[in-house]
Amino acid sequence: MSLLFSQRKSPSASSHVPGHRVVMFFLRHLQQAFASVGELWRMPVASMLTMAVIGVSLALPATLHLLLKNSEHLRGNWDNAAQISLFLNENIAQSQAQKVINRIQLYPQVSDVQYISSVQALAEFKQLSGFGEALEYLDKNPLPSLLLVTPTVQYSAPEGARELLEKLQQQPEVAFGKLDITWLEKLTAIINLLEDGVFALGALLLLSVVLVLANTIRLAILNRREEIEVLKLVGATNDFIRRPFLYTGIWYGLIGGVIAWVLVSLILIWLEGAFVMLADQLGAQIVLSGLDLTEFLILITLSAGLGWLGAYLSVMRHVYEIEPENQL
Amino acid sequence: MIRFEEVTKVYPGGQQALNRVSFHLEAGEMAFLTGHSGAGKSTLLKLVAMMERPTSGQVFINGHNLNKITKKQVPFARRDIGMIFQNHRLLMDRSVFNNVAIPLIIEGYHLSDIKRRVAASLDKVGLLSKLNNMPNTLSGGELQRVGIARAIVNKPPLLLADEPTGNLDPALSLEIMRVFEELNSVGVAVLIATHDLGLIARMKYHTFTLEQGQLIQDGLSSTALKESDFEPVI
Repeated sequence: MSLLFSQRKSPSASSHVPGHRVVMFFLRHLQQAFASVGELWRMPVASMLTMAVIGVSLALPATLHLLLKNSEHLRGNWDNAAQISLFLNENIAQSQAQKVINRIQLYPQVSDVQYISSVQALAEFKQLSGFGEALEYLDKNPLPSLLLVTPTVQYSAPEGARELLEKLQQQPEVAFGKLDITWLEKLTAIINLLEDGVFALGALLLLSVVLVLANTIRLAILNRREEIEVLKLVGATNDFIRRPFLYTGIWYGLIGGVIAWVLVSLILIWLEGAFVMLADQLGAQIVLSGLDLTEFLILITLSAGLGWLGAYLSVMRHVYEIEPENQL
Repeated sequence: MIRFEEVTKVYPGGQQALNRVSFHLEAGEMAFLTGHSGAGKSTLLKLVAMMERPTSGQVFINGHNLNKITKKQVPFARRDIGMIFQNHRLLMDRSVFNNVAIPLIIEGYHLSDIKRRVAASLDKVGLLSKLNNMPNTLSGGELQRVGIARAIVNKPPLLLADEPTGNLDPALSLEIMRVFEELNSVGVAVLIATHDLGLIARMKYHTFTLEQGQLIQDGLSSTALKESDFEPVI
């Protein structure tokens, strides 16, 4: 494109192959992408250090994410322990209780119902409490009959179990029900807190990746100030000048992401023994799972994106700032 | 080709570099721009190259008012102007070929075209054999010629040179001037800022003389120069 001299030919005007411009556009981008690899290679130690910083910064949130993911598995196992105790009204006879049991067993949310009659309960209480003889003085059995309801897996999470409990409490024969999952709720709360913490920490570390890259690219731009001035003098647009820096940022991010993945894998091998021991203690059959393909791709894409963002912030500020001056 | 109409340039801080300067460089003409240091030569060239904007007045290139060229268009407009600098401004970490190729790469030429044009351009300045040399293996005169090769590689219709012989001895200076004359002979307009009056005196070209921001002379060098204006040529 010639602005001042309309009769001048521009290079793209000389070819008439349709789609040629588009092909050339991608070809040029590809060239610049690989040229910026060469740029990294010119200062291998400095480049590797930057990539290592990015890798370590990303490895930390990735590891925490994995620990959380695996602790979710553990929690999944414990959820089966959720059980609902239903206390029946005092004057319910055995036959009536059996009807209730049959009804409840038909619920799709219920996997098992166990009946403990008031007599059984009193016997058990006598045996376990040590009050023994004292209980003889009571003129009637103060204990209600009890149904122990085990929900299906799907309904054993705190919310589902609570929902089921409310339904069961509406049975006329049921005095009240109790859900013994407070410990599960506490664990869930702790894990939620950890999740939020990991999220906040992750956000901070991602921000640090962006800042590290912005600074690295800023130094690269200032190092090549002379070159940028010359390029501007011979008619390079800002887009043209900033493109290699953006690609450099992407490469930094990409390789940093791979380093993070390697680090996470090493940490995982290191933690495996301890985790298996913990799972054994809790009676859970779990294998420690690493980053799957999707998570790996997310990690890589994220780090490349952060690299681009850091470079972009720097380029927007510094490439536009540099103008050829002093001498013509 | 270049036309100044009542151009005044005042830098921030109040320093007046040019004061109501008007002149016209014809298409295909070669001319000198002279004056002492600080007379406004560099400012005038910067206005042509759109590195500065005039405070008042208008600059035209090929009939286009440069005041109407937006910031985004400046890079495209600069591609029509070849620029040569006193200190050549080559990139020392790239070979001669890669230096000369820069304007073509920016414009998106094919590699085959780039090779052909860079070779032609270096041939014109007599340095084809140094194609793959690094700049630090070349002499001062050769570096300046590589700078000229870079300026003419995309065949701009207009060349600006700021003290192109400032660092060279008289023999090399004359050699550089012969290159400009050759380019001018094929229709390229050339504007050379220099205070090497001895050089100008030997060549009969249109000369614009600036003094304290004002154009005081606009004529042929052989008749316009006074003896006292000459600086000793060492």
